[in-house]
This record gives sequence, C-alpha cells and structure tokens, in this order.
Amino acid sequence: MKTSASVSRRGGTFWHRVKQQKVLILMTIPFLVHVFIFRYVPIWGWLMAFQEYWPGKGILQQTWVGLENFKLLFDDPVFYQVLRNTLAMSIIKLAMGTISSIALALMLNEVRRMWFKKTVQTISYLPHFISWVVAANLVRDALSTDGGIINKVLMDLRIIKEPIMFLGIPGLFWWIIGISHVWKEVGWGAIIYLAAIASIDPTLYESAMIDGAGRLKQMWYITLPSIRPTISVLLIMNMGWVLSAGFEQQYLLQNGRVIDYARVFTIYELDYGIKMMRYSFATAVGIFRSVVSLILVFSANQLAKRWGQERLV
Amino acid sequence: MKRRGFWFLPLLLILVMGATAFAQEFKEFTVFTGEPLPDYPGSTIVGDIIEAETGVKLIREALVGDLETKVGLMIASGDYPDLVVAAHFTSLLKDAGALLPLNDLIEEHAPNLKRLYANHWEMLQQEDGNVYWLPIQAIPYGPDTSRYPSLAFFMNKRVLKEAGWPVIKTLDEYFGLIEDYMAKHPTIDGEPTIGYVTLFDGWRSFATTNVPQHLMGYPNEGEFVPVMQQGRYVVTEYHTSPTAKAYYQKLNEMYNKGVVDQETFIMNYDQYIEKLSSGRVLGTFNQFWQMQEGQNYLLRDNPDSIFVPLPIVIDPLVEERQRDIPYVQPTQGMGITVKCKDPVGAIKFLDYLIKEDTQRLLQWGIEGVHYEVDENGLYYRTPEQLELFRDPDWVQNVFGRQYFFNAFPSLRGVDENGNMFFPDTQPHLIYSDSTDSEKEVMDAYGVKSFSDLFNEPIFKKYFPLWTITMPAGSPAHIEETRMKDVLNRYVPELVMSSPDQFENIWQNYVKDIKPLMVEQMKVYQEEIDWRMENW
Repeated sequence: MKTSASVSRRGGTFWHRVKQQKVLILMTIPFLVHVFIFRYVPIWGWLMAFQEYWPGKGILQQTWVGLENFKLLFDDPVFYQVLRNTLAMSIIKLAMGTISSIALALMLNEVRRMWFKKTVQTISYLPHFISWVVAANLVRDALSTDGGIINKVLMDLRIIKEPIMFLGIPGLFWWIIGISHVWKEVGWGAIIYLAAIASIDPTLYESAMIDGAGRLKQMWYITLPSIRPTISVLLIMNMGWVLSAGFEQQYLLQNGRVIDYARVFTIYELDYGIKMMRYSFATAVGIFRSVVSLILVFSANQLAKRWGQERLV
Repeated sequence: MKRRGFWFLPLLLILVMGATAFAQEFKEFTVFTGEPLPDYPGSTIVGDIIEAETGVKLIREALVGDLETKVGLMIASGDYPDLVVAAHFTSLLKDAGALLPLNDLIEEHAPNLKRLYANHWEMLQQEDGNVYWLPIQAIPYGPDTSRYPSLAFFMNKRVLKEAGWPVIKTLDEYFGLIEDYMAKHPTIDGEPTIGYVTLFDGWRSFATTNVPQHLMGYPNEGEFVPVMQQGRYVVTEYHTSPTAKAYYQKLNEMYNKGVVDQETFIMNYDQYIEKLSSGRVLGTFNQFWQMQEGQNYLLRDNPDSIFVPLPIVIDPLVEERQRDIPYVQPTQGMGITVKCKDPVGAIKFLDYLIKEDTQRLLQWGIEGVHYEVDENGLYYRTPEQLELFRDPDWVQNVFGRQYFFNAFPSLRGVDENGNMFFPDTQPHLIYSDSTDSEKEVMDAYGVKSFSDLFNEPIFKKYFPLWTITMPAGSPAHIEETRMKDVLNRYVPELVMSSPDQFENIWQNYVKDIKPLMVEQMKVYQEEIDWRMENW
C-alpha cells in the first residue's frame, strides 16, 4: 500500500512503474511464453482446415480447398446431432455440477466437528483423482443388469421387479453422464466454494444472529450472496467449455445402443476426422468449436455485466 | 581444487567411453505393436535367449485403446517408433511416407527373410515395386490345420452332452437346444444361466454383424462377400439379405424370451470374456481368437463348460464352407520406419527372428526341456511339458512367447523337416494333446480335431476381401464409417425391440444402410479383379 502510494506521488511514469514491478513482470514471463507457445502458435495449424492436408508434406505445399471442409461439416446430418448432444450434456453437467458443489460446500460449512468435515471432504473428492478409464468401469459395473449394485438395491427394496439396463436406454444416457460427473467431481468442485465461504467476515454472521436469523436464513442471506461473485466468474469461465462436454467419459460409457445420444464433438472429430486421416476436417470442427466458445464466453460476460454481477473481462 | 579438476578429466573421459561401449553391447529398438499386451516382464525364457544371441533390447509400446486413433495420431505427429505393426492400418503409414522400402535391406542383410518370404514376394510389392512391410505370418513350406476352426457358433459342452451329442446344422436347431437346456437348468453353479451372448464392443462388433455371411456358408470375408458368377467374383452385400433378416429376427425372438443376455449390447470385451470364463454361457458366435482367452480359462478351471465349435448355417440346403485355408495377410505387417537410426540392425534382428531355429524356440521351446523328438524325428511333448504350455499365464509371463510372436514376422505351417511350426497344429498331436474334456467331445463326434466338424475349405486366390482397405479419407472410406454407424445403431434395436416392431425397424434399417454401400463395393470390386489377375 505504502509503496504504490509513494510511486504515484513521485510521478509514476510508465517506465518507472515497470521498474518498480520488475519482479512481478519477471514472474509472469514464463506463463506468457507458455500461453504463446501452446495457445497461439498452434493457431497456425488452423490453415489445415482450408486445405486437403496430407501428412508428410509441409503445411504450405498442401492443396488448398477453401471452405470445402466447412461445407462438408454443415451438410452432415450427424453434425447437428453431435451439436445437440454436446450442448445437452454440457448444460446438464454444468448445472448439476455447480449446484451440487455449492450444496456440498454449504453443508460442509455448517458441520461443527472438524474430523467429520475433513473425512467427508476427502471421501467426496477422492473420485476426482481416478482416471475415467477406471471410473467408467466402476460405473458400468454398478449399472450392470448382471449383479450391478444399483439394480440389486432397487430390486431388494422392491422398487423394480426386473433389472433395468440403464446404459442401454438412450434417453437416460445424458443423465448418467451428469450423475457420474457429479459423483466424480462434486468434492473437488466444492473446494473453491469452501475457500470463498471461509473468507466471509464472521461479524456478518454475528450481526445476523443478533437480528434473529437462523442457520438457514444465514445461509440464504449471507453465505450465498457472499460467494455470488465466485459462482458467476466460474460460470462464465465454464461457458467456454460448453462445446467440449468431455471425451473419455462419453467414449468409455457409450455403446451402440445409445450412440445417437452419446456422440459429442470430441468423439465426432475422432471418428470422422483423425481416425480417417481427415485432419483438415477435424481441424474445421475444432475451429467451429473455438469460435462458438468464444462467442459464448463473451455473451455470458455481457449478461453478467447487465445483471450487475462479477465478470471476467 | 582446480588442479584436481584437470586431473580428473581424462579419467572421466575414459569412464564415459567405457560406459558407452558397454551400452553399445545392447542395441535398442523401439517397437509399437498394434495389439494390447502387458509390459514385458523384464526376463522370460525365450526373451533372454533372444537378447543374448542378438544383443538387441526392445523398448515396447503396446496398444492402449483404439488402433485407428493411435495410428492416426502417430502419423499426424510424425513421431514413429523404429519398428511398427499397425494391423490393417499399415498401408496408411506407407501412404504417409513413414515406412522404409525393405527390398535392398533384405537383399543385402537378410538371407532368411528373403528365403522364407519368397513365396509371398509378389503379393507384398506395392505399386512402386517396393516392399514396405513383412506380414506377421509367412507360410514357407505349406499350410497346416488347427484344432479349432477360425470361427464358429460355439456351444457349451454341457448342452451337447446332456442332449446326447446331437449333430445340428441350422440356427433354429442351435437355439432350440439352448432353450431346452435353459428351461431345465435356470442356474449353473448357483448363478443364472446365460443362453447366448454376442459381442458388440466398439470395433469388435463384427463378431455380431459378420454373422449373416457365415450363415450363408462363407468364411470371413469382411463386410461384403465376393460371389462367383459366370467365372467372376462379384462383390455382393449381405447386410440386408434375407439371411441377415432371419438372423436378427431369431436373435430378437431369443432376446424377448430371455435367452440372449440382456446386456449383451452394452458390455465391453472384458465383461464378455468374464462371462464366457464363468462357464454359465451356453452359446456365442465369434472368431476363435476373440474368445480363445475365455476358452483357455475354461479348459484350465472349468473343463465341463468348454465351448465346442459348430458349423451352423441358416438353412440345411446351404453349403457350409466356413473354414479358411491359412493365408498370408499381404496388406499388413511389420515395417521399419524412417525414424529408425539403424535399419540394418533392425532388419538383421528380424532376420534372426524369422529363421526356423528361432521360430522353433518360440513355439516349441528348448529341446529336452519343453519338447522331445521321437524316433521319426517328430516333436511331441510329455504330459508335464504339455501341462506347462496349457497355462496361458505361464506361456506369456514365464516363457514369453507373446512378446516375440503375434506382432513379429513368424512362420506357420509345415517346417523344413515335416513338423509343424505351431505345436497346436502338429497333426499326430492335435488329438493326443487335447485335454480330456476336448477328447470326450471329439470321440463323441468321431473326429480327431474340431476343424473336422466343418467341411474342407475352398481355395480362392483373392482371399480374403477384408484385407482390402478403403483409401484414407475417400468417399468410400466415409461411407464405410457411416455404414458401421448405421449397423451400430440398428442392430441393438433390431434385437432388443418387441417382436411386433421388428418389421418396421428392419424397413428403416434397409432404407438407411442401402445407400451407404455403393462406393465401397466399387473399390472392393476393382481390387478383387486386380488380385485375380495379378496374384
């Protein structure tokens, strides 16, 4: 505080400020380099989308085909199905993931016994560290009709008579993705909200209590509004991922029966792009995704601004 | 301090030189094998001998996940191992310029490869006259026959035994037997009996969708069958044939009766093998290699429930020719990539692997330890030796055959002195080396090998059609992917719907799949014609 005040009093020219903050600037350089190399240099590869790319030749020696690949993409009926699935699964995952994480964080915050809170937190974020390859097999086993635990429990409770083939019902696939996402990520997602809650000024609670607010009212009128900026920033950031609803999860849980509801962009790029050596086509799909994601992030940001919420840019 | 540093320098140099000289004793090659295989145990019986004799250490990468994806990514990144096996995507690597031409290398450094692949040389030459890969099996002295046919409808031995070893021929009879047995034995070993499972996991789904051609009597051709018409093989589709319809309708009926396993379309390969190994599955169709793992576990742990291959066709009038003559797959094999720094060393290693002595070591083992020679010069194994080789875990992890065999150039058929390279196909041993459980079935049917339950195969020059690949990214290739999508979507629906909806779904299926065959059939036809003329 003191130094920055003295800087501005002493004139505060641009170079002066640079000099003052040179340590900070030095610290950011590696990250800028990283972003440049891994986020900007690859954009050069977008050229492929306008070519008929064949490996082994340099990128400038390829045949140029203009917008041919995009035409193929928008003419493909599968594309619209993929778009629908990706959006649906993203929104389900985003909504269920956010709500469950906030709920868990709120509940954990109310727990008095430290050991219980720690235990629950650890258990709930453990699945985050399991790879989907393993997790998908766990989900498959749990949902199996041949002795899967979910069917067993439901049958023993006499809720259902016959085992249900959960993974074979097209209409259920999106929800299985959503629920298994919650199981895997709820604890991990709650951490950031817990941190936000921890930084709320305790005097707010004290005065609320004096005014006669119970625990629920405190949650509603103090905790939630206080973490609202966190929620809105996270939501805006997540908008950018709406067109990449994940890959391993769908890829490993899908089967022929539900393929119409399971195929997302990443799988589409793989099946109809990379696997068939249509690198240009896969790139075109990637460009489409990036552009739409960018639009989504900016519109969400704009909306947040209009509603007077915390925003990203 | 400084002085001492100088004094150390020459010593250090000598040390480094010594270390590199020592390291050079082992040449290292990276190899990618297009099939899943656990990491090399570090030391195996055959592996240690090969390492000692060649001074070559392999750094292996086995397939994880999907081969098509892996090859696609490999090409996109240009990051190749020294040696590569990419099954039927091998030609893509060549098209991408990843493979070295082997002609000169073989001519100069590999007399054994030259000699043993001589029969197949013409097939292997690409349009430019070069050879880029070596098929994983060469048949230098003539083919053999196996104990098991390469594909079949398999039936649990319990069912056949209880029914008094009936000879069955049609799909109706096959399912009839299963139904009867299921009605009498709703549980096996306390768990529910599974009437029939069909494998439908990812690329392995051909185990389900290829069946109509076999019901029509053909061996495995792939997605289409070349049918002889007026002296020419005409590529014909079978996915919408009356046989296909009858087959799916039968599965539908059986599904609705609870004979076909409920989750057959959503289980993955591991779950499939697990079910087979449990001994409570009564029937399944598959290519033998895809269910062999399950059969091996049954042979070891549950010999009463082993699977018996049966020649099943759709109609008694169909002529069954499901077996195939062992063939070389000229469109795939092991190649040396442009990233290999020592191609001569690599080809010499392969030359060492292919020679008869090495092949004998891999298949039979060490004379006197793993096999014996009788007075006629024929190899055999004592019961104790046999017992060892019947344990799949031992063969893989202690003996180590898999690590130098499936993906590497190898020999099959008769060897130069009348034995078979594969112990399993040694004619005088096929029967005598069978397990007691297998013998019981063979005795009951009066055969000396399960292959004998099937008719003799017919020789076709082009065989098989499936080794033809669609040009990458071409309209035919896109069509192929879309066709498989349609199959993936409709087949589960056809089988799992209620019987009164079947006709309707079938109509939609035919309407959707028909237009997705045109381009592919053109490519196949051209290639078949070419093969008939040039091979």
